[in-house]
Amino acid sequence: MTDFHDKYDMTIGIECHVQLATKTKLFSPADNDARDAVPNTKTHPIDFGLPGMLPVLNREAVTLAVKAAKALNADVAEVSRFDRKHYFYPDLPNGYQITQMYHPTILEGWIDAPLEDGSSVRVRINHAHIESDAGKLTHFGGYSLVDLNRAGTPLIEIVSEADIHSPAEARAYATELYRLMTYAGVTHGDLYHGNMRFDVNLSVAPKGSSTLGTRTETKNLNSFRSVERAAEYEFYRQCELLEQGERIVQETRGWSDDTGKTTSQRSKEDAQDYRYMPDADIPPVILEHAFIEKVQATVPKLPSEYRQEWSELAVDKSVINSILADQQYAKLVSAVLADGGLTAAKRVANWIASSLTIDEAGSETMNADVADLLALCAMVDANEVSSNAATELFNDLMAGACDPRVLAEQKGLLQNSDEDAIGAIVDAVLANPASQKAVEDIKSGNDKAIGFLVGQVMKDSKGQANPAMAQKLIRDKIARS
Amino acid sequence: MTHQISSDDVAQLATLSAISVSDAETEALRDDIANILGYIEQLSELDTTGVEPTYQVTGLQNVFRDDEIMDQTVSSETILAGAPESDEHQFKVPKVL
Repeated sequence: MTDFHDKYDMTIGIECHVQLATKTKLFSPADNDARDAVPNTKTHPIDFGLPGMLPVLNREAVTLAVKAAKALNADVAEVSRFDRKHYFYPDLPNGYQITQMYHPTILEGWIDAPLEDGSSVRVRINHAHIESDAGKLTHFGGYSLVDLNRAGTPLIEIVSEADIHSPAEARAYATELYRLMTYAGVTHGDLYHGNMRFDVNLSVAPKGSSTLGTRTETKNLNSFRSVERAAEYEFYRQCELLEQGERIVQETRGWSDDTGKTTSQRSKEDAQDYRYMPDADIPPVILEHAFIEKVQATVPKLPSEYRQEWSELAVDKSVINSILADQQYAKLVSAVLADGGLTAAKRVANWIASSLTIDEAGSETMNADVADLLALCAMVDANEVSSNAATELFNDLMAGACDPRVLAEQKGLLQNSDEDAIGAIVDAVLANPASQKAVEDIKSGNDKAIGFLVGQVMKDSKGQANPAMAQKLIRDKIARS
Repeated sequence: MTHQISSDDVAQLATLSAISVSDAETEALRDDIANILGYIEQLSELDTTGVEPTYQVTGLQNVFRDDEIMDQTVSSETILAGAPESDEHQFKVPKVL
């Protein structure tokens, strides 16, 4: 593939649908958790559009939107309203979606998304609105099936400005948005079940051009990796069309993880007319400043606050980012920092980053008692366990074990730092005829040979001798001999 | 002010409303819609400067519900009973994609 990056710039804006972590739907008291439920069992007459039903707004959905606003550095609208967006589709029983076209609850904001090279990209948020989800369609050969369990599920749609200019930035934005929304408790963030879905709007233009090209919208991406791959693919696809003198069609495209390609879904040439109108069933939402402050005060620490807090740890940015991938780990490192100070927190941070598997989203979280972790750190400081043994014990603690000292004793991982005991083993090793060559080498200045002798001491002590002490004793004894 | 409504306008409205309209009906609707729009147009004679748009007429605000599951949901059998066709607890509809 030709590298078009020298010739064209890409401009990306992302819309993200976030499923809110409420117990019930946006306008009905039906159960919002439809995972693994039999189709059409988690729905209510309000959600399947029975005439005469009166939708009533879920207070918790508004509360979560107010929390989201804090994470997005956005103001909350004093007055917000709901509108009807009309279209006919089998997954939309009312014939309209209830959304916020003109007076969204969340106003302009911004987020900073950290990039791999240590810099970050600031992406402005245009606004975010509350709306209800549609049902789920499954397509078969000659027909489609409709499940309304998801109909009426509360969402916020976060609309970014077109401030993103590379696939890596797109991925970084999606990833940071995920962290912000899960940390703030806005969503469960279960990507496998589509709790966050990204639409990537992308256009290309010749470098330095002041006008943007025609954009396409690639919809329903449900992982950070697919956001990045779809952006990469669209950039090359559009560049190639332009190189061939063709024009880009403004359209909606779908993405396939299997083929790694986007394909046209529907053209926006005949622009949709949604006939928006105020939804007279839903009175306006007026939010007092005091309410907003009270709700936002309950938002837990956000990723940027953790980054700030850990700036003294002097660990690699990649370590910080792998810890931040899971809020439990972030909380743990901060708890260790508060109770045990910098050295302990740095140790735990490195253990987490190097020995736990942390995947993009929703890995099974493990956790340990802070006091146990501090006890383990103290054992490392006192040379009571080797670094390998410490990593092993750390993994045991995270998997649910407790009391590292008892654990180390049971597993025979305690290091022996008793000078007399190790001294006796060293004497025996030095007296062994097999060691004589190494001893002579060291005397004649070949220091490498000490490794062999330390190895013998470790072997004879069944791995429990403190290696640093063994080495010191070997040197002392040879020097005195 | 008279409105000119073309056959295409009527066809577009019919598409958006998901209804089919015959040629004869289209002609009749052109006149009807033009008359209705002309009638409504009279409102624009009023000076509404400084008047807040009418979003609603109840005067209510902040009508909320607590986030509690009420198990008064209807069984899928009841929901599907009204559908012309169903399969695997779901509505069966003509292919849409």
